[in-house]
Amino acid sequence: MKLHVIRGIVVFAGAFLLHGCAAPQPSQDLLAPTDAQMKIRSVQTRTFDVKDRQTAMRAVIAALQDLGFIIERANEPLGLVTAARFAEPNYYDVVGVTVTVRQESDERMMIRANAIYNNKPIEDPKVYQNFFATLERSLFVTRP
Amino acid sequence: MCRWYMLASGLLLASQLSACVEHTQPDTLFQLTPESAANRAMQTRLFETKDERELLSASAAVLQDLGFQVEESVREVGFLRAAKERSAREHGQDLSRFFIWLFSTPLVFLQQPPLIMPVDIHQKIAATLVARPLNAESTRQEIRIVFYRVVWKGDGMAGRQQIAPGEQRMEMVRDPGLYQQFFAKLSKAVFLEAFTL
Repeated sequence: MKLHVIRGIVVFAGAFLLHGCAAPQPSQDLLAPTDAQMKIRSVQTRTFDVKDRQTAMRAVIAALQDLGFIIERANEPLGLVTAARFAEPNYYDVVGVTVTVRQESDERMMIRANAIYNNKPIEDPKVYQNFFATLERSLFVTRP
Repeated sequence: MCRWYMLASGLLLASQLSACVEHTQPDTLFQLTPESAANRAMQTRLFETKDERELLSASAAVLQDLGFQVEESVREVGFLRAAKERSAREHGQDLSRFFIWLFSTPLVFLQQPPLIMPVDIHQKIAATLVARPLNAESTRQEIRIVFYRVVWKGDGMAGRQQIAPGEQRMEMVRDPGLYQQFFAKLSKAVFLEAFTL
């Protein structure tokens, strides 16, 4: 009787230990867009009434500089700006941001910002609202 | 006696580690602060010229004169990035390293090695510069330059714990003198007067 119980426990424990060994099957929608992704994308994107991409890019650079970011890279043909800053006065934390500027139509420009905080993406909509508010101001000043 | 040393070294370690705990809230980092305007004024000068390209190449030349190497340039958006690497050794730090070592030598009685404080060894001073036209006819250009530095620390020892060299620290250069020096050289190079904001 006792042996029976012990054997049962051993089998159970073995099954429990091996539980992790079965490879999880990749699901069909592994790369499918999720609702959260769509939401974050809409938070990160905004369109502006600007005709010229260069004007928009210069405004993005000026806005980032105003916010104390260090411009690391800029690519005019692709409309890319990469910048970073450390979270003063705390220099252990780094904030990185990549901004892409794309022509949506002849009259409009689509601007998308991706920000990371210590290698973790920032998903707080408020951060992006603040950024676009500064960008709006900068665009208004830059626009001829 | 023993306890006092333990307490003192504990306090010292705690003071070193205290900065690690607090984190800045990311949403405040995308907000303009009261200092933003002052920094902007310090980092920016206006030039009455049509020639943005000349301004940009003169800036590159001035940075070269100051010992910088240009690392990246994008003419279409008027962007330059340059850097130079120098030693970051300072006598003050070496002195305090020595005195901390000296005053912590009694730790030997506790079979603990004395404390060796890491000092700044090497630094990279970098500058990013952006030129942009301010009006539709682009008769007026703005130059904005931002200096910052990255400092690498050497090795040290706290208790039996070896502190590996290579710890990094970054800071913006907020000394107006450096900016004034740069803009003075730049306005001389392009034969133009530099206006402040």
